[in-house]
Amino acid sequence: MHPVLARRVRLDLYLLAWLPIAALLTVALAIPDRRPWWEALAIGAPLALAAAFMSLAQWPLCRGLPIERSNPIRFLGSHLISLMLSVGVWLLLGASITLVLQRFPGFADSYERYRLDAPSLAVLGALLFMVVTMLHYLMISFEDTRDAERVTLQAQVQARDAELRALRAQVNPHFLFNGLNAVASLAGSDPARARTMCVMLADFLRRSLALGGRTEIMLGEELDLADRYLAIERVRFGDRLRVEHDVDPEASRCAVPALLLQPLVENAVTHGIAHSLTGGAIRITVRRAAGRLDIALDNPADPDRPPSQGSGLGIANVRSRLASLHPRAMRVDSREEDGTFHIELSLPAVEKDTALRPTRAPRVQQPSQEVA
Amino acid sequence: MSERIKALIVDDEPLARQLLREYLSIHHDVEVVAECGNGFEALKSVTELEPDLLFLDIQMPKLDGFEVLELLDRDVAVIFVTAYDQHALRAFEIHAVDYLLKPFSPERLADALTHARARIGKPSALSAAQLVAEARPDRRAVDRILVRDQANVHVVAAAQVDYIEAQDDYVCIHAEGKQYLKNQTLSDLEEQLDERRFVRIHRSYLLNLDRLARLEPYAKDSRVAVLKDGRELPVSRAGYTRLRELIGT
Repeated sequence: MHPVLARRVRLDLYLLAWLPIAALLTVALAIPDRRPWWEALAIGAPLALAAAFMSLAQWPLCRGLPIERSNPIRFLGSHLISLMLSVGVWLLLGASITLVLQRFPGFADSYERYRLDAPSLAVLGALLFMVVTMLHYLMISFEDTRDAERVTLQAQVQARDAELRALRAQVNPHFLFNGLNAVASLAGSDPARARTMCVMLADFLRRSLALGGRTEIMLGEELDLADRYLAIERVRFGDRLRVEHDVDPEASRCAVPALLLQPLVENAVTHGIAHSLTGGAIRITVRRAAGRLDIALDNPADPDRPPSQGSGLGIANVRSRLASLHPRAMRVDSREEDGTFHIELSLPAVEKDTALRPTRAPRVQQPSQEVA
Repeated sequence: MSERIKALIVDDEPLARQLLREYLSIHHDVEVVAECGNGFEALKSVTELEPDLLFLDIQMPKLDGFEVLELLDRDVAVIFVTAYDQHALRAFEIHAVDYLLKPFSPERLADALTHARARIGKPSALSAAQLVAEARPDRRAVDRILVRDQANVHVVAAAQVDYIEAQDDYVCIHAEGKQYLKNQTLSDLEEQLDERRFVRIHRSYLLNLDRLARLEPYAKDSRVAVLKDGRELPVSRAGYTRLRELIGT
């Protein structure tokens, strides 16, 4: 719909803007001294009103022929045809008005006089419609700029949002509590393993904090973090948790948003392994082919487990992060069948440049004064 | 104290069980009679070994700690042991002796045992199942029904249930061609299930609306509900009113 028609107040203003044009037309029709001014008004006012509404039809035409992306011949041709049609219809409308007018006393031979003015009216109408067309393009360019700004802003908000959620989810406190409990247990029975577990926990925390501060990392780094995480969980779950890898070595240099897979790997443990009596394998498959990077994650899923809150959130989070980076070139699919949960992501394979890129400076939070 | 406290440890993580066993070893009045890795084993062991005290993890496969408690057929003191603090309130509502947050200190465990010693031997007024039912979080409708049949536990998803029939003190749950008997009244179960899905169409029948094919007149003032698989159930006048309210015709 035409933006002018979207709101009543806009339409009113628009029609008000045509008042001077109606006056101009009236004056133009009265100048040749062929007719009294009231006749000029009786023709000029309806013609201006008609032009006002006919101009609205320029909107879909201008929208359909974007100035930068159209074939110039088609662009000019279409506008020329539209201009001729508009002026023709407009002149015929004027003729019909005079034909009706001359039935009234005082307006005799109105049509004859109008015929004499037709050529100059045609020129005037053509100029009018041309200005209207240009104004439409101006309006469209304003609107496009605003839309583009809005989309950028939205993407930024989304990215920041996803980042915040990722940071919050980064170190799941229950993962820590359970890990520490395992350390406490090992300290009595196997002190050497307790020490190893401490180091594993510390390494994982340090690395996830470091990676979480960056926007983009190499898939290899992300997979390494997942391995560290799963190694810790293996201490807790023992034989119930197995890990299988099938990773294309070509893929490890590809760029991925930091901690993209981590929530999915955590889901696989907390919603998959932890709810399964016998456990099973978490399988990570990575392929790189035809410019695409495909990552798949499989884990056992007990169909009888209580409905979980949170796993859907994790997937939505991954999807929105990918969508803000590759709006039209990403895919996230998940399904659960035969006791297996499967999720796969697909994104453009872009090698992360080896040159050191400035990573985002850590945001230092100033200690704020608490206001009572 | 001559009589030793028989304790059962239920946790799906071997290291967590091992830690509890180690901490308990200095308390000579406590004897760990068994360790269980999941809820099913726990139910079996409670029946066979008749422990006085249960150390119960909440997050476990198949049956969580609360569900284990709901299915227990005897009164037993419970100390919950978990990494999650959000269940603490619910645990105390069902009169758990104590609630240990992982990781915990030996001193904290000693405190919990002091509480347990005071509790053991004093039967609680309400059965565990009743307490659990009362403490259901936010009175949320259950989406699965647990049925204990000797040593086996069946988990029946609410969506799988066709209808539930009252049989004296029991209910017979008809689900996907199978029947399960549960020691519970129909009104009790009706209260737990989603009221938008399950309708009491008759004093003795609770119907899953998804299974209803059509209603047919039977005699003056009475109707039968025909299910999608062709089975027919009687509909009382009050039941018909409730059905109409739900379907909106």
